[in-house]
Amino acid sequence: MAHIPDGFLSAQVMAGTAAVSAASLAVAVHRSRRYLAEREAPVLGAATAFVFAAQMLNFPLGAGTSAHLLGGVLVGTILGPWAAMLVLFAVVLVQALLFQDGGIGTLGANTLNIAILGVGGGMLLYRWLVALFGVGLRRRVLAAAMAGFGSTVLVGLAVAIELALSGTVPLAPALVAVGGGHALMGIGEGVITGAILGMVLRARPELVTGMRDPSGRGRALAYAVTGFALILAGAAGYVASSQPDALESAAERLGIVEVETAYLTAPFADYTSPLGGALFAAVVGVVVVFGVAWAIGRAVAWRGLRT
Amino acid sequence: MERTADVSFHHLDQFASVPSPVTRATPTARVLATTTLAVGTAALPLGAWQHLGVLAGLVAFLAAAAHLPVSLVVRRLAGPFVFVLAASTGLLFLVPGEPLVRIGPFGVSDTGLQRFGFVLGRASVALTAAVVLVSTTSFPELLQALRQLRLPAVVTTALGLGYRLLYLLVDEIERLQRAARSRNAQGGATSRRRLLVGISAAGLSRAFARGERTHRAMLARGFTGDLPSLAPKPWDARTIVSLCLLVMAVAAVAVSAYVSI
Repeated sequence: MAHIPDGFLSAQVMAGTAAVSAASLAVAVHRSRRYLAEREAPVLGAATAFVFAAQMLNFPLGAGTSAHLLGGVLVGTILGPWAAMLVLFAVVLVQALLFQDGGIGTLGANTLNIAILGVGGGMLLYRWLVALFGVGLRRRVLAAAMAGFGSTVLVGLAVAIELALSGTVPLAPALVAVGGGHALMGIGEGVITGAILGMVLRARPELVTGMRDPSGRGRALAYAVTGFALILAGAAGYVASSQPDALESAAERLGIVEVETAYLTAPFADYTSPLGGALFAAVVGVVVVFGVAWAIGRAVAWRGLRT
Repeated sequence: MERTADVSFHHLDQFASVPSPVTRATPTARVLATTTLAVGTAALPLGAWQHLGVLAGLVAFLAAAAHLPVSLVVRRLAGPFVFVLAASTGLLFLVPGEPLVRIGPFGVSDTGLQRFGFVLGRASVALTAAVVLVSTTSFPELLQALRQLRLPAVVTTALGLGYRLLYLLVDEIERLQRAARSRNAQGGATSRRRLLVGISAAGLSRAFARGERTHRAMLARGFTGDLPSLAPKPWDARTIVSLCLLVMAVAAVAVSAYVSI
């Protein structure tokens, strides 16, 4: 449910998200004009048409599922984040006005989620990963695939929080249902983003915004952010271990705690481990998740370049 | 026989040229009226069924005034409604409350059922308002309205060019898919995925090439940064009064809903 329909959000949330979106778009208009100059109109028009057309193509992902491109990170890597925000806003606007995909009242929230947070958050992640990995062709494809995944998860989290703030659904089940759904969609988004970017970089590299190899300072900052994320994960591990998580809380509310069955023994059940308890478990968790995402992205990068 | 591309420029706004009190109003007034109705409906507090009924009546009145056949409105609503229904169904199970029915490990609560019904009702009324707008307003008129509402020129220009390129691009992508099918170039899921990636990348490249060509042609014809448009329909007294009455009515319904709940 990347596009929230009318009727799901409260008046306060609609007004608040509309104000934040309007302010962010004003900045995006100013910054994109400086970057694209007189190329602005044709480039943004072409990108808007492309995102629309690409969203009509369903990619088979296996097991009877398919996904279509959201496009925030892909357009961001080509036009830069500010212009990509405007493109995604144009897409969200037309989807709401012409195709009733997302509400008119919730336009502010959908713009904030998809165009501002989705593109902005995804591109921050992309730049952070490029600073960590470097600017080689495969590395950029890998970074874009991971950023595409992260961007979609971010959109899902924002939707869940807005639904909870509106009093439509409690936060815990919203995070599980909407956030979890977007995490699955994110895998498709990451794979498609990486694969298309790989092909464009090979066939028309001049279309993609050039990136300089990160300086020593930039790389140091990227490592510092990674370290900070690990510390944050450790702190979150302590908090999480003392409170029921979103899934447990949702299960409790739905009254299905008694049917809970462990089919597979978790290595660090309830965030405890023989080597340092919650902190160690959280750090290992972050490293493992990062490693899995990295492996998927790397596979996409290799396949994307071979096709 | 191979299906030919059936996307056309005017498949949404067939009733834009039908004379009616709605199409006589300036497009900006139509956009403002739709936004007022959509926001007013979406902002109703949970459980305000009577107020929702009043707003549904207002939207139905507008659809009738625009001479929209019921079958067209229902057909246009069907697609988005299925999506809204799927999204609302989650509320049945996710909202805590007194369990009414159990489906396997999941329970449907009374609060969940009420919230599901009301959210679906609000969404349906807002959707119908949007369908009335899109059926009675052509895309150039919509762009004109967005410009008058002070949307940044870069966004409206991108929208105008994007809409112009979209149908060409969709046709081009369909042609690429047909060509691939005719070469039997999509066996299993893996080759289909590769093919779609190739088609998407080709679509991206062609969209930018076409955009650049269109822009050069526009510059040659004297483009200065804003797309020219036909003279906008003027605001007349009847439109202003009707819009003010509608805004006041929606505001009164929304405020009374908050007071009475």
